[in-house]
Amino acid sequence: MSILEINKLKKSFDGIEVLKDISLKVKEGEVVSIIGPSGSGKSTLLRCATLLEKMDEGSLLYCDEVAVKDVGGATIYAPKNELRHIKEYFGLVFQNYNLFPHLSVMKNICDAPISVQKRDKEEVKQEAERLLEKMGLEDKKEAYPFQLSGGQRQRVAIARALAMNPKMLFFDEPTSALDPELTQEVLKVLKDLAKDKMTMVIVTHEIEFARNISDRVIFMDGGVIIEEGTPSEVIENPSNERTKSFLTKMKV
Amino acid sequence: MKKNRTRKNRLLAIFIIGLICVTTFAAIGCGKSTEDTKDKKVIESVDDIEGTRIGVQSGTTGAIYAEDYEGDEAGTIVERYNKGADAIQSLKLNKIDCVIIDELPALEYVARNPELAILDEEFTLEEYAMCIDKSSTALKLQINDALKELRDNGIYDQIVDYYINNEDGSVEKYVPKDVSRDNGTLIVATNAAFPPYEFYSEGKVTGLDMDLSQAVCDILGMKLQIEDMEFDSIIVAVTSGKADVGVAGMTVTEDRLKNIDFTDSYTTSKQVIVVNTGSTQDIETLSFVEKFKQNFIDDNRYEYLLTGFRNTIIITIGAVIIGIILGFLIAMVRTTHDRIGGLTIINAICRVYVTIIRGTPAMVQLLIMFYIILAAVNNKIVVAVIAFGLNSAAYVSEIVRSGIMAVDPGQMEAGQSLGMTYNMTMIRVILPQAVKNILPALCNELISLIKETSISGYIGLIDLTKGADIIRSNTYEATMPLLAIALIYLAIVMILTGFVHKLEKRLRNNER
Ligand SMILES: Nc1ncnc2c1ncn2[C@@H]1O[C@H](COP(=O)(O)OP(=O)(O)OP(=O)(O)O)[C@@H](O)[C@H]1O
Ligand SMILES: [Mg+2]
Repeated sequence: MSILEINKLKKSFDGIEVLKDISLKVKEGEVVSIIGPSGSGKSTLLRCATLLEKMDEGSLLYCDEVAVKDVGGATIYAPKNELRHIKEYFGLVFQNYNLFPHLSVMKNICDAPISVQKRDKEEVKQEAERLLEKMGLEDKKEAYPFQLSGGQRQRVAIARALAMNPKMLFFDEPTSALDPELTQEVLKVLKDLAKDKMTMVIVTHEIEFARNISDRVIFMDGGVIIEEGTPSEVIENPSNERTKSFLTKMKV
Repeated sequence: MKKNRTRKNRLLAIFIIGLICVTTFAAIGCGKSTEDTKDKKVIESVDDIEGTRIGVQSGTTGAIYAEDYEGDEAGTIVERYNKGADAIQSLKLNKIDCVIIDELPALEYVARNPELAILDEEFTLEEYAMCIDKSSTALKLQINDALKELRDNGIYDQIVDYYINNEDGSVEKYVPKDVSRDNGTLIVATNAAFPPYEFYSEGKVTGLDMDLSQAVCDILGMKLQIEDMEFDSIIVAVTSGKADVGVAGMTVTEDRLKNIDFTDSYTTSKQVIVVNTGSTQDIETLSFVEKFKQNFIDDNRYEYLLTGFRNTIIITIGAVIIGIILGFLIAMVRTTHDRIGGLTIINAICRVYVTIIRGTPAMVQLLIMFYIILAAVNNKIVVAVIAFGLNSAAYVSEIVRSGIMAVDPGQMEAGQSLGMTYNMTMIRVILPQAVKNILPALCNELISLIKETSISGYIGLIDLTKGADIIRSNTYEATMPLLAIALIYLAIVMILTGFVHKLEKRLRNNER
């Protein structure tokens, strides 16, 4: 069963087509990396998949449940309550964390599970503590986001997304706001998640990391998927000229 | 802790400097008033008033007489004051050359201010009557009968004598009769700065007109309710139904008869000219302590300031509560419309509302509230709270809106990516951050609101400013009462400002 299924997705901003006919399936436990030059539409793809942006055409399914239906050149979104349910299948981690600055680390993590999912407070708190431990942040429970380093903030953001018990996680350049050192601590968390068979779609500029962690790598340019396959196919032996030149540029 | 102390000391220092500045100003001002008589025109008869500066009370017959001279070739200037006492004060300061005013008040003023004098020449005799709406014929006839009865049984003479011919104190003040008052309430509009007809004494509006109104009510079996307001608001109050009759030493004139009806006249009066002779020799200049005693202690006058202070605070707090609740609602409607569409009609209403409120003076809004929209509401504090609350809401809504706009849009996306709805994210995530950012601006709005309420006196409400006005019209002394309330306002604002500073600092320490 595919966790995520995108078919023939199209998206334009002000008449300029940013995504042209993107189709993508992600199976349970799969780790997919998306690489590509700036402006190629990677973030827009993630935003469409996470329902933050409206799709112009195409369909979107999570665990075979239809979130967006294609009706020949237009889209129909599922009713609100179904979408609310579908949204629980995935979580999203932003480039600049978007932690809630007025809440402590603990509250950042527990707020949504308690208020949205109506789960038991104590149970959520225990889970939050477990997650923080996993992130190496057990001593930051009561800290506020402004008291944390970028790497710590991103790990809190990951814990926050995980606390919702999603089936899969999207990451949009989770390390590009971080120093190389801090990047490593976040990447290590992602590697641990991959080991635990968390389904993930990661937009990243860290080619080396993408090669190590991914089951599949997707190279995007100009709103289309140019090449996709295993890391050794796409990163080590790219067949497309654009992929090759992008990778050469990234190595420099 | 130590920092705290220095802040307090600094506040105190500023306050004291303010006090010194203001008193110095006042001292200079007073000094000038008694000496500066150089460019003064000497007025000895009616013929001399051409080309002078004439002071009148706005809306009175004196003002109508003065109008004949206004703009003539000699360059006569007519200055219209809200109260007769204000005109007299200006005359004392030589800001004007003479005041045309009714005889009895003039006698009172001259009795209390030795440098003033009344010219022997007089304008024509005029009739005072109670004004009443043209539709209230039945009430008019009842009042006419009552007035006739009072003349016949001698009570009328007793009331007049008590206020006018009572040097030896032998005449008793009229006491309300113990009668049943089942025939409703008679609301009397007046302008209580016109002794002996109407003035404040011991916190109450009293005077010849008021005792007469009481006597009429006793005959009619009605309760008397007195509403103090600006003189030129009285006719509007009566025609709009805010009051049943106007009893304010009002002369029957052709112009007034176009809008309103009058009862039979109850007394006659004439306009006289009051001038400042500048002869100060028989004035004993009062010391600071004596002046203080006269303005605040005698007749318990400080109570006007206490009442005023209380009302100012009540109005401000009430208005702030309305302003904040409504302001937040408007801001939510407008940002929701901007961000995710919908609410088109409500949003349009909110926009028009904010535009109108921000585009018109608060004073005009207050008067419109009192005379038109809330004409049926008789509790003035309620009217003021609503008027200032609605006014404040428009400003608060813009502050809140800018606060919401300033929150990173990523916060809304983060909330939604965690499954929160738009409203939930707004309440749990966006608003707490917005409020933190705008707290200082909201406090500043509170500070300007406090000062704004000083116009409450225009609907006859005794706020702090009006309290000082009442003292002023009783003591004919501007400096003390005005300085006192200036200092009270300053103190309130400085305490709040100190609080805002502290708050700002706390919030800054809490930044990301
Ligand atoms: N809200 C928007 N309105 C208009 N144009 C947009 C909007 N969002 C993105 N775009 C445009 O769509 C294109 C793709 O943007 P996108 O952010 O998806 O690229 P990206 O691959 O994520 O780039 P980067 O690696 O720099 O993050 C860009 O040309 C961008 O200018
Ligand atoms: Mg991007």
